[in-house]
Amino acid sequence: MKDCGGDYGSIIQLYLDKELSGRDLEEFQAHLEGCETCRAELEAGEELSRLLRRSRPLYSAPDALRQRVMQTMELFPSSAPHAPPRLRKRISKILARPWQSADRGVPRWPVLVAAILLVAALLPVPGILRQASANSYIEAAVAAHRSSLNGGLPLEIKSESPSVVTTWFAGKVPFHFRLPDAAEQVGRQQVYRLTGGRLVNYKGGYAALVSYQMQQQTISLLVASSKSAVAAGGEQVPSGRIVFHYSKHAGFAVITWSTHELTYALVSSLPGSGRQSCLVCHQNMADGNHFSAHR
Amino acid sequence: MSWNHAGSGQADATGIEHLDGLYSYAMVLSRNHAEAEDLVQETYVRAIQAMGRLRAGSNMKSWLFTILRNIWFNQLRKRRIAPQMVEIEVGDDVANNIVEPSKNSHDLYVSKMETEQVRAAIQELPVEFREIILLREYEELSYLEIASVLDCPVGTVMSRLGRARAKLRAMLSETFKGSDSPSVRGTK
Repeated sequence: MKDCGGDYGSIIQLYLDKELSGRDLEEFQAHLEGCETCRAELEAGEELSRLLRRSRPLYSAPDALRQRVMQTMELFPSSAPHAPPRLRKRISKILARPWQSADRGVPRWPVLVAAILLVAALLPVPGILRQASANSYIEAAVAAHRSSLNGGLPLEIKSESPSVVTTWFAGKVPFHFRLPDAAEQVGRQQVYRLTGGRLVNYKGGYAALVSYQMQQQTISLLVASSKSAVAAGGEQVPSGRIVFHYSKHAGFAVITWSTHELTYALVSSLPGSGRQSCLVCHQNMADGNHFSAHR
Repeated sequence: MSWNHAGSGQADATGIEHLDGLYSYAMVLSRNHAEAEDLVQETYVRAIQAMGRLRAGSNMKSWLFTILRNIWFNQLRKRRIAPQMVEIEVGDDVANNIVEPSKNSHDLYVSKMETEQVRAAIQELPVEFREIILLREYEELSYLEIASVLDCPVGTVMSRLGRARAKLRAMLSETFKGSDSPSVRGTK
């Protein structure tokens, strides 16, 4: 770098952006001392930068966005591998509706019991075609469960009575369902109990979130129409016409299944595999005959 | 709410500190508030998904900006829309704020006006100039980091940045010309 007879524009830019170092930097600084043209150009560049940086941040993120991002982070701490895209939107839609088919006279509760009771051999079968939709439902169920645990989704109906909860959901959801009166009873012992429910949104419609308590732990059951929710993938356990799907998502144990145009997702923090999870709740009933009897 | 990721060299980093920067980048790309919010939301969701693949020593900031940019351009490709077709919403909020500045907040008022004019000028630049100005002047990414985000050579970063600044300087000079106060409406 000699005098300013040459083009120092690029050097000035590098200097401005702190991209100049070592010998190049020293040479330019030396040149700058004796070159009024370069000093003026440098000053103009610095002035522009000052003007721009006075307006930092160029835009401030809306508070609502900040909250949503924070919620997303809370839902998927650390390296959760199954975090879904557009999660927040999905989460906000997920929390809404009940079980179906009281009018069809089809007992739903035994199905739930059967799901919890899963002790049969697990058949790992990869879900393919419906996996994306199934994951979406699982993610929704997990998000709802997690929000329940965090107090973000307080129960809208609090009752240990299945009939009271069933009545509350009636007309609020686009399908019919009924919680059997004996639902909480498993064998002679009440291992878990109904605590209530609430509506949640899922894919633009309502789904039912039913909450249970067991050993001071909350268990969530998300029920939605099979038109919008799919059970697939994970470890699959066929039982009669029903296939139960067990998987782990974001540290939660999830069992999903579909029957009579409804899809269920049971979410808990019970440790171990799906089978072990079932045994925790149903240790007094961990026999295949009972499981079959409810189909 | 910590968003930890082991081995990145930035233990306990949450990424939330880049929210304003990412939102600004999204606004610069999309020029639309709703789209910008979706972009940022999607960026964080995908980042969380991919966190486990972030290598030790990786630069989380430029990584996040890269994710956002990729999402945006993938969306553009899918929609087959051009950036200039996106409805421009910038400046609305500031315009509302400056209707009647309080008498004892003149400095704040001037500052807001200036910010609005800067925004307006930047948003009139071509998208490749807008984003490089944002990444360098606002986010202070190095040439190498910018090259990584834009997926282009460092030399391209340098030349494009030079042209972007020249253009912006000319626009801002024109904006402020003949006015002692920056309280002149932007050129939008």
